[in-house]
Amino acid sequence: MKEEVTRVNRMIVLCCLMLAVMFGTSAMAADGKGIVDKNKCGSCHKMSGPAVKTIAEVMKRKAPDLFYAGSKFNKDWLVGYLQNPTTLRPAGTVYLNNITTEGDTDKVKGAPDKCASKLSAGDAAAAADYLMTLKDKSMKTGVAKIGDFSSARAKLLMTKDNACNACHELPKKGGGLSCPTFDGIGARLNPDWMYSFIQDPTHWDPRVWMAKGTFDDAQLQLMVNYLSSLK
Amino acid sequence: MNRMDISRKLVIGFLFAASLFAMSAMKAEAAEKAVDNYNLHCVQCHGSAGTGKGINAPFLAVQPRNHTSDKDMSSLTDSNVFKAIKEGGIAVGKSTQMPPFGGVLTDAEINDLVKHLRAMCKCKGPA
Repeated sequence: MKEEVTRVNRMIVLCCLMLAVMFGTSAMAADGKGIVDKNKCGSCHKMSGPAVKTIAEVMKRKAPDLFYAGSKFNKDWLVGYLQNPTTLRPAGTVYLNNITTEGDTDKVKGAPDKCASKLSAGDAAAAADYLMTLKDKSMKTGVAKIGDFSSARAKLLMTKDNACNACHELPKKGGGLSCPTFDGIGARLNPDWMYSFIQDPTHWDPRVWMAKGTFDDAQLQLMVNYLSSLK
Repeated sequence: MNRMDISRKLVIGFLFAASLFAMSAMKAEAAEKAVDNYNLHCVQCHGSAGTGKGINAPFLAVQPRNHTSDKDMSSLTDSNVFKAIKEGGIAVGKSTQMPPFGGVLTDAEINDLVKHLRAMCKCKGPA
């Protein structure tokens, strides 16, 4: 009888702990929303879907969409970035808004505006908790299989067969400026999101200026593995 | 025909007209102007002036085509240009540095882009 009571007590304590953790997590996310709102993230970022569907609307975009941040980003990276933002898109969010023409040659006008957020470690963690709740539930998870891969074959696929580096900078090697840098992309992005975005960028951004290639699963896995290794 | 039937037919007619109007509005929203598609998709490599000097051009192994050049553009047929935009340079025996835009642009938009390119070079392709 005594053992039975102890077991029941243990279960009650466990349930209370679980509830406390669940409540704590949702409270953190709620705090995070307050921090996101207070810092007016929504004045530059689109915080709710759907994505815009016309070029005219794309041209008004000031910063990347965040309404699927929880599907796109790795949380640890978000926590660091929110404390110390860096430039991820060498020619700005929409490159077309940040170029000038000298003679007949286009140049990037200047360093694009960096994200204004400079949150404390605590606020960044809470804001990241909230941002990670913003997910696209239609995205398949567990798709990207990170493991051993041939870096040489990945580079061949992404530079010779498909010129990804024409628009994306490669770490230490440089590359195009119109799209986000590949430097640190492995720390930044969720492999499942990379898989989904390369497979169909228009699902995430119907008027994206990136081309949509036709890749099989093996090619997508190779690309995602390579990109995930760039930390 | 009683008054009820007439009212029903009027309502159905109105709904049909409204749906036609809505469909045409949606279609208009879906198709972008060639100049806007050119600016968004092509300028990053081919440049604002269309001479092949976009912000990505210095990083490409092959110089992007000069769309304003009669010499560069008149050697290409319209179907060649269409195919290059839709399926990428490799589909017409050119560089893989020109990616396929068929997944992000409709055939109608690509056809409009071909016309836009002809206006830029002020030239026609071989007959």
